[in-house]
Amino acid sequence: MDALNFFAMSWLSPELLGLTALGTFLGIYVGAIPGLSVTMAVSILISFTFSWDVNNALCLMVGVYMGGVYGGSRTAILLNIPGAPSAIATALDGYPLAKKGLAGEAIGLSTVMSVVGGFVGIIVLALAAPTISEFAITFQPRDYMMLGILGIMLVGSLSGNSLAKGIFAGAFGLLIGTVGLDPMTAEERFTFGIIELWDGINPVAVMIGLFGISEALHQLHHMDKAIIKQKIARIIPKGSDVKKYLPLSLQTSFIGVIVGALPGTGGDIAALMAYDHAKRVTKDPEVPFGDGAKEGLIAPESANNAAVGGAYIPMLTLGIPGDAVTAVFIGALFIHGLNPGPLLMVEQPHMFWFTVGNLTLANIFVLIFGLTGIRLFSKIVECPKGVLIPLIFLLSIVGAYAINNALTDIWWMLAFGGLGYFMRLYGFPVGPVILGVILSSLTDENWRRAILTERNSMADLFLNLFSSPLSTLLFVTIVLILFTQTPIWTTWLKPKWTKK
Amino acid sequence: MKKTTIALLAAFSLSSTASFADYPSKDIQGVIMWGAGGSTDTVMRSIAPHVEKELGTDLILTNKSGGVGAISMKYVNKKKADGYTLLMGAENPQMHKVLGLSNIDYSDMTPISLLARGTPMIMARNDAPYNTMQEFIDYAKANPNKVKIGSTGKGGLTSIVLAMLASQVKLDYISIPYKGDGPALTALQGGAIDVMPAVLGAAIEQIKAGRMKALSMVDVERNALLPDVAPITDTLPGMKSYLPWGPFFGVFVKKGTPDEAIEKLQSAFQKAATNPEFVSLMQNRGYTIMNTSGEAASTFLEAYRSTSSWLVHDAGFSKFSPEKFDIRKP
Amino acid sequence: MLSQLSAQKTRKPGERLFCLLLVLGSVYLFWQAYSIAGFSELSSAGAFPMAASAVMILASSIIFVNTLKLPAAEGVRFIYHCFPPVVAIIMALILVYAVILENLGFILSSFLFLFIAIQFLYRRSVLTTLSITLLALIVVYIIFRLVFQVVLPEGIVPERDIIASIKALWR
Repeated sequence: MDALNFFAMSWLSPELLGLTALGTFLGIYVGAIPGLSVTMAVSILISFTFSWDVNNALCLMVGVYMGGVYGGSRTAILLNIPGAPSAIATALDGYPLAKKGLAGEAIGLSTVMSVVGGFVGIIVLALAAPTISEFAITFQPRDYMMLGILGIMLVGSLSGNSLAKGIFAGAFGLLIGTVGLDPMTAEERFTFGIIELWDGINPVAVMIGLFGISEALHQLHHMDKAIIKQKIARIIPKGSDVKKYLPLSLQTSFIGVIVGALPGTGGDIAALMAYDHAKRVTKDPEVPFGDGAKEGLIAPESANNAAVGGAYIPMLTLGIPGDAVTAVFIGALFIHGLNPGPLLMVEQPHMFWFTVGNLTLANIFVLIFGLTGIRLFSKIVECPKGVLIPLIFLLSIVGAYAINNALTDIWWMLAFGGLGYFMRLYGFPVGPVILGVILSSLTDENWRRAILTERNSMADLFLNLFSSPLSTLLFVTIVLILFTQTPIWTTWLKPKWTKK
Repeated sequence: MKKTTIALLAAFSLSSTASFADYPSKDIQGVIMWGAGGSTDTVMRSIAPHVEKELGTDLILTNKSGGVGAISMKYVNKKKADGYTLLMGAENPQMHKVLGLSNIDYSDMTPISLLARGTPMIMARNDAPYNTMQEFIDYAKANPNKVKIGSTGKGGLTSIVLAMLASQVKLDYISIPYKGDGPALTALQGGAIDVMPAVLGAAIEQIKAGRMKALSMVDVERNALLPDVAPITDTLPGMKSYLPWGPFFGVFVKKGTPDEAIEKLQSAFQKAATNPEFVSLMQNRGYTIMNTSGEAASTFLEAYRSTSSWLVHDAGFSKFSPEKFDIRKP
Repeated sequence: MLSQLSAQKTRKPGERLFCLLLVLGSVYLFWQAYSIAGFSELSSAGAFPMAASAVMILASSIIFVNTLKLPAAEGVRFIYHCFPPVVAIIMALILVYAVILENLGFILSSFLFLFIAIQFLYRRSVLTTLSITLLALIVVYIIFRLVFQVVLPEGIVPERDIIASIKALWR
C-alpha cells in the first residue's frame, strides 16, 4: 500500500504534476537541439533547484530526462541532425520519411513507440530492478568487449550498397574514438602534441558535422528545387500500424532496458542495436531500410526511451549510474542530503516508488506534448531553404560550442562536415563512422582489460570465453551473426548448402 | 534598440572607469575542471548557491573538462585577471609538471579557498580471502601476479597510493586500469578486480551496505565514519612520512587579480564553507572540511605537490624530475 | 567478393582522387598508430588503433581498385555537379565565421554570418533579411546564453556588463 502511495505522490500534488509537465516540455527542446544535452540541462537544474524541496527538484529533472531522450528524434527526423547520439539511428529512416512529406506521420509514430518503450523500461524497473542490477554488474571486461564487437558488426546493416565503404567508415570511426590521452595509461594517441586533443574528439561534434553540416551543404545543390509540402493530415498513427509494429517495439524495448542498465553502455548503443535487430527480423519491409522504413524508425525510438528505465535500475538499487545522466542524478540526490547507494532503498524506501511513479507520469507527458505541436514542427521543413540552411549552420556551430564550451569542437564539427560532404558525394555511408566513434572506447578499453586479466595470453582469454554462461552466449551470438548475416554465408556457404 | 544603446554606453563607461571597490559588478563565471556528475562538480555546485548569497551576484558554473584538468587551467589563465573567472578544481594539476602534462600548476595561481580534503582507502571485493591490510600483503606475497588491482591511470589517486605502498613493501600484482574510481568500484563489486584504492566518499555507501570490504584507511588515524577500519600506519608505520595525504577541492583565480577582488572572494567562500548545510553534506560523504586560504592554503598545496611529485618520481613514472621545477623533497 | 556488393556502376569526377587520398591517409594513420607503442603487447595503447587503421588500409585499397575499374560517368562535371561554387562560397563563409567568432564575439560574428548567408541564399530585401537575422539571433541567444547558461565567446562586446546594467535598470 505504501508503494502505491509513493507512486501516486507526483500525480496527486498539483505542484509536482506541474513541475513534471514543465520538465518534460523543456526536455523535449533540450533533446531536440544538438549540443544541448540532457546531462548539461540536469546539472544546470541542480544549481537552479538547490534550495527547493528534493521531490520538486526531482520531478523537474526526471521530466527533462524523459523528454530529452525523446526529443532527440525531432531534429533527426526533420533536419537529419540527431539531437543526441541516441537519435542517430532514428535519422537513418526518419529523415527519408520527412523528405517524402511524411514528417508528421513519422513524428507521431515515433512518439507513440517512444512512449511504449518508456513504459517497458519503467515496468522492468518496477518489477525486476534488484535482479537486473545484480546481473548487470557481473558483466566482465570480456563481456563488454564482446558487446562492443557485436555493436561493431552493425556496420553491415548501416553500409548501404557498398560493404567495403561501410567497413572503411566504421574502422575510421573506431580510430577517431581512440584520439586523445589514453584513459588507461595516459599515453598520447594521435594528439600531435596538441593539448586540445587530449580529451579526444567529441562524438557529438563528429555527429553534428557528418549529419547536419554535410546534409545542409548537399541541400545547397538543390536551392531551386521546390520545397516539400508536408502532408500533416495524419499525426496520430493508425491503430493498425501500432498493432503491426508493437511486437517489434516490445522486442527492441527489452534490448533498450538491458543495454541501458549496464553501467558501461547507454541509450546510444541501445538504439543502434535495436536498429540492427529490426533490420534482421524484418524479412520484407514495405520500404527498404534507409529509404524510410517505419521499422527502422520505431526500433531505435523504443529502445532509447526504454534505456531510461534501464539506466535507473543500477542507480536506484546500487548507487551505480547506468549512464551519464543518472550520474548527475546521483550528484543531485547527494546535494539534497540523501545518500545514493545500495542503502538508498533501505534508508529512503519512498524514493524508489516515487521515481517509478514520476517516470510514468513524465512518460505520459511525452505522449501529450509529443503529439501536440507537430504541425508547427513540420513547418520547419517547409521553411525556405535560403533561410533554413544558414540557421542550421548557426545552430550547429553554437551546438558544437555548447558541448564543452570549447572552440575546438567547432573546428572538428566543420572538418567532419567537409569530409562528410565528400563521403556522401562518393557514396560512403556516414552512419558507420559515428557507430565506430561511439563503440571505440568500450571495445578498446575492455579488450585491453580482458587481455591484461589473462596476463596477455590470447589462449587463456579464448578459453575463459566459455567460463561463464553469459560470455558463452555472447560468443555464440557473435559467431552466429558472423556466419549467417555476412557475405561469408550469403555468397559462399548458402548456395552450396541449398544445392545439396 | 535605443535602450540597448544606452545600456551599451553605460556598460562601456562602467568598464572603463570601474574601480574594484564595487566588485563584483557583473556575473562571475566558475569553470569546473571535471565533467557533470563528478565529485568536483558536485562539491562546487553545492557550495555555489551559498557563495552567490554572500557576493550578491550570479555564479555561472560551466564544466570544462579535458586534459586531466589542464584545459580549464589554460582557459582560466588566458582570461583577464579581473576576478570574474574562477577555476574550480581538484588536486590533479599539482602533478602536471612532473608528468609532463602542462607547465602550470596551482603554484602559478592564487588560491581563493581550499574547501575540503578526501581520505583514501583500500577496498577489496567481498569474497576476497583477506580481511585486513596485513592479510592482504601476506596473500599478495604468497601469490605473486595473481591479485588484480584496479587503477585510474598514472598520476591518479590509486597510482600514488600504490606508489606509497611500493615504497614500503614489494608486491607483484596485475594492474587493471579504469576511467575513474566509479567504474572501477563497480568492477570490484562484479569481481572483475580484487582490490581498489579509492577515496572514502566514493565507497562509503557500498561499504556500509556490505557490498565490499575496507582493508585499510590510508591515514594516520581512524575515521569517525568507519571507526572499525584500522589506519594503514598500524601495518606499515613507514607510511607516516607521507600522511595525511589526500585529494582536495579548491577554488583559484589567475595571478595578478586585484587584491580587493581576492579579499571579497576569499571572505565569501570562507563564510559559505561554514554553512551548516554544506558542512553536513561534506561530512556525510567523508570529506574533511579545510576552508583555508592565503598562506595556509599555499603551504598545504606545496606539501601535496612535493609528496606526490617525489613519490611518482621514485616510482618511476614521472616524465621529468621534480628538481627541474624546484619542487623540494618532502 | 566485395565488389559484387557494390551497386555503383559509374564513377564521379574526383572519386579516384578521393579514394587515393583515403588509402594514403590510412597508411599515414597506421604509421601514427604504430608509433604509439609499436608491436609491443596485445594490451598496449597502440594495439587497437593499429588494428583499426589496418582495416582502413585494406578496405580503402579494395575501394580504390574497384573505383579504377568503373567507367567515368558521362556528362558529370566536378565544378557543376560535385562541388558547385555556391557550396564553396558557403564553406568559406562558415570558415571565416569560425575564425572571427572568438575575437569578435558571438553576437557580432553570428550577426554578420547570418545576414550575409541569408542575403546571399534567400535574395530578398535587406529589411527582410535583417529582421530574420535579428529574430533568429535573439532566440538563439536567449536559449543558449540565458536559459542554458552557455557562456558564448564575448569578444569585443562586454556582454556581462550589459546584462548587469540591464538587470540594474530592472531593480
